[in-house]
Amino acid sequence: MIVAAIDISSTSLGVSLSGVRFAYRRGFALFVPSLEVQPGEQILLAGASGSGKSTLLHLIAGIEDPSHGEIRIAGTNFLALRGAKRDTFRGRHIGMIFQTFNLLQGFSALENVMLALMLGGFDSSDQRSRAESTLTRLGIEDSHAPVENLSVGQQQRVAVARAVAGNPCVVLADEPTASLDPANARKAIELIKDAARTAGAALIVTSHDPSLIGAFDRVLDIGPLIATERAR
Amino acid sequence: MNDMTIVIRSLRVRLLTSSMTVAMVAIAVALLLVIMSMREAASQAFRRGTGNVHLLVCADASPLVGVLNGMFYANAPANPIAWTKAEEIRASFPWQWAIPTQLGDSFQGSPVMATRSSFLSQFEPVVGQPFTFAAGRAFTSDFEVVAGSQAAKEHGLSAGDEIVFTHGSGASRAGGHEHADHPYSVVGILNPTGSAHDRALFTSLESSWIIHAEERREAQSTEPEGEEPHEHHEGEHDHAHVDVDDLTDADKLITGILLRLPTRPGSDASASIASQFDRLRRDTAITVAQPAQQIGRLMSIVGDVDWLFLAMGVVVLVSSAISIMLAMIASMELRRRQVAVLRVLGASAWRVFALTVTESTLIGLVGSFLGATIALGGCELASAILADRIGIMVAGTIDLRSMAMVTLGAVLLSSLAGITPAIKSYRTSVARHLRPIA
Repeated sequence: MIVAAIDISSTSLGVSLSGVRFAYRRGFALFVPSLEVQPGEQILLAGASGSGKSTLLHLIAGIEDPSHGEIRIAGTNFLALRGAKRDTFRGRHIGMIFQTFNLLQGFSALENVMLALMLGGFDSSDQRSRAESTLTRLGIEDSHAPVENLSVGQQQRVAVARAVAGNPCVVLADEPTASLDPANARKAIELIKDAARTAGAALIVTSHDPSLIGAFDRVLDIGPLIATERAR
Repeated sequence: MNDMTIVIRSLRVRLLTSSMTVAMVAIAVALLLVIMSMREAASQAFRRGTGNVHLLVCADASPLVGVLNGMFYANAPANPIAWTKAEEIRASFPWQWAIPTQLGDSFQGSPVMATRSSFLSQFEPVVGQPFTFAAGRAFTSDFEVVAGSQAAKEHGLSAGDEIVFTHGSGASRAGGHEHADHPYSVVGILNPTGSAHDRALFTSLESSWIIHAEERREAQSTEPEGEEPHEHHEGEHDHAHVDVDDLTDADKLITGILLRLPTRPGSDASASIASQFDRLRRDTAITVAQPAQQIGRLMSIVGDVDWLFLAMGVVVLVSSAISIMLAMIASMELRRRQVAVLRVLGASAWRVFALTVTESTLIGLVGSFLGATIALGGCELASAILADRIGIMVAGTIDLRSMAMVTLGAVLLSSLAGITPAIKSYRTSVARHLRPIA
């Protein structure tokens, strides 16, 4: 199922994009007329490498600014927030999972998760219990081990735990299976989907792996959304 | 979990680099503190040793050399003063006291001052602080000796010991010969005074005169006329016995006279010092010094070198701050990835700026603490070396003001060193540094 765009309601508590345009330096532009992801919905952003999937995730996460358009997360006009307010909002409402996990070296699994909760504005009394319960739920037994000592599979679980521990509104996963073989890719996707579902979060996953298409509620092919600047 | 945890973990991840930069700050702080401490302590130590002496008469080449030799035991004075001249000077003015001294012998490297017992009762090594005895008493007859506190400690002397002096100063002890025929009895040990006198031993002038008179007469009786006296070796002496009564003016050589003018009670100054100094200076056979003035002059001479050392210390401190900055910039690639992750997790750009500056500040704090600790040990070592090599007793302590100034300066410089890496962290492109490393 390929969906180019879905009309949205501005009062939605999930994620909504409207008229979002991002210009690349090399003359191309990404244009998303409309996209809505409902709470709990799980969608796949499909497309070839370099097609703009990661850019769209970065726009949703507020780490890249579009030149036009509006992005709402949990009903809040996210782009209207500036500086630290936007960062704190991101920490509280958006969880991110990366292809290479981007866990902080020198920190234990527990500390990686607690750090995300701290930066998301959770009380210090709440951080440990939330982090421990999430790690346990995701099958991390030795949460005090430095992350560099964990297996790749365990590191991925910690990365997922870090993204969902704060019950975010949306979880963004950028090519989480790109470096995995098909069997492990399937397991990883199921892990992420389960964790997002448990957290009650919308899930947006990018991947160029066509075998994942059937695993999501919806699939958005990003190819038609990108064109030369002149064409837009 | 708090921001300090992030800073400490960041330092721990780069443990080797962090340790090296902390070590550089510690060395710089220690160096600067030791220089500052020694600078002040040496100045104080020099001012202590001259005590309540107003004028020093000697036959050295310059007043400064005379003071260094006569009061700080730098070397044995080369030129003697005849006893008749000493008597003439003593009788020329109603001095509060005039104490003759003779330096030239030593005991295992420690200088021996032959003098009057009034040196131990009337001379005050520090104004208002006369010599006091830790054990025993002053010398009252010939071949009795009183040991300064450090000399006693260094040689393990106690009252009742018998010791033999060596002809020549400590520096020449290897070539000097022992006055083995005349052992001295240790009769007293002095309490520490914090001056160069602590490393000396004190005996009567007559004892020294007798020994040297006997040796001179033995040499004269054994050397053929016209030949140079040969070096004496143990067991080679013809024993010529000399008593005090046998001493002639030619035997009674001294190397200095300590003079104090009458003063009003409770005052150390005398209005006549300048006029008596000028009067004595007219005598070309002697050198006259105002010890306090000469030490002031010495301090002004070494002052420039002093500032040079201080400047070098500051340069080392600045270098250590630069090394912090370079180390942090060198680790920027790893740091940028860490910053990007922190930003995605909710840290603001200003927060990562503050975390980076805190990291460099923490390096400065730990380095300063270690440096101050090293400096305390370094001062003890430096004071021991100064006491051993040049006889200056300095307190191995660092005053709190200097310590606060240097450590705060080091911490401030470290914080400033973190600003450039912090700006780079602040400007880190989150999107670019989240991408997988190729």
